[in-house]
Amino acid sequence: MTLFQGQAVPENQVHDFHPPIRPSGLYWVVEIPDGGLEISADGRSATLRMARIEVIDQPRWPAPDAEARPASMDIAMRWTATDEPLAMNDPTKQFRFRGWKARCQLEARIEVPSIQFTWKSDPMETSRADFAIIGEETNGKYYSA
Amino acid sequence: MHNNREAQEIGRRDLLHKAGVAAASMGLLPLVRCTTAAPARPSVIPAPVGGNEEPYPIPWLDKNGSHNQAGSDLEPSSIYHFSGRVARAAEFVGSGVDGAGNRLAFGSRTTDNSFMQGECWTSQRRARRGAWTHL
Repeated sequence: MTLFQGQAVPENQVHDFHPPIRPSGLYWVVEIPDGGLEISADGRSATLRMARIEVIDQPRWPAPDAEARPASMDIAMRWTATDEPLAMNDPTKQFRFRGWKARCQLEARIEVPSIQFTWKSDPMETSRADFAIIGEETNGKYYSA
Repeated sequence: MHNNREAQEIGRRDLLHKAGVAAASMGLLPLVRCTTAAPARPSVIPAPVGGNEEPYPIPWLDKNGSHNQAGSDLEPSSIYHFSGRVARAAEFVGSGVDGAGNRLAFGSRTTDNSFMQGECWTSQRRARRGAWTHL
């Protein structure tokens, strides 16, 4: 999650919060604890709620030498499918996706204790994502052409 | 000639003795012993052998040196060897307020989030079920 002072453009970036890259190379991924993710039976909507996620604040990301500070994030996100289906199939990269374009909104709260920084988003309903999808995917070992 | 060889031999012994004393005083002798004593290896290594139970990352990098920018033709999952439900979102538009009362926007392409719930294949060559999020 990137925060900006003024317009949301790279030169105005003042914070960037994400989990650290794992030694395996797994990129900004953390496990969701039990109960943190609810998906509807038809797979067309989902809600993610997590608290006290250990992240880092890397204001100069993506500079390779960007320093970081430990931070904490609470986040809630909601995906809802539209009626527009979306399918992808890439035999070269061995992945297939079937699902829908979606709407997504989020709210979050962030804390960087070492600099006494806190930030809280406006309510979820005031946000939007210009790109969102929801569905099912298979890749790698599970992919068949 | 004979006396010269004797003198050289005495000098060499003296040098070796001094080197030994110096190494001992620097605590190097235990180090030498450590490097020569190989740790005992078990006769049988129980499975799973090697690897770990973390999911595999997507094996290629995008143009920013990251994984998986969001897009209608770009793979949604951040995990390779995966099968299950996924959702992805990016290019958020939103705002909030920091502790000092300053309004700070969030969003752009670099605010990209997703979840993956299902089964993955780990580097231990074992299937694992779980749920993960890319934040």
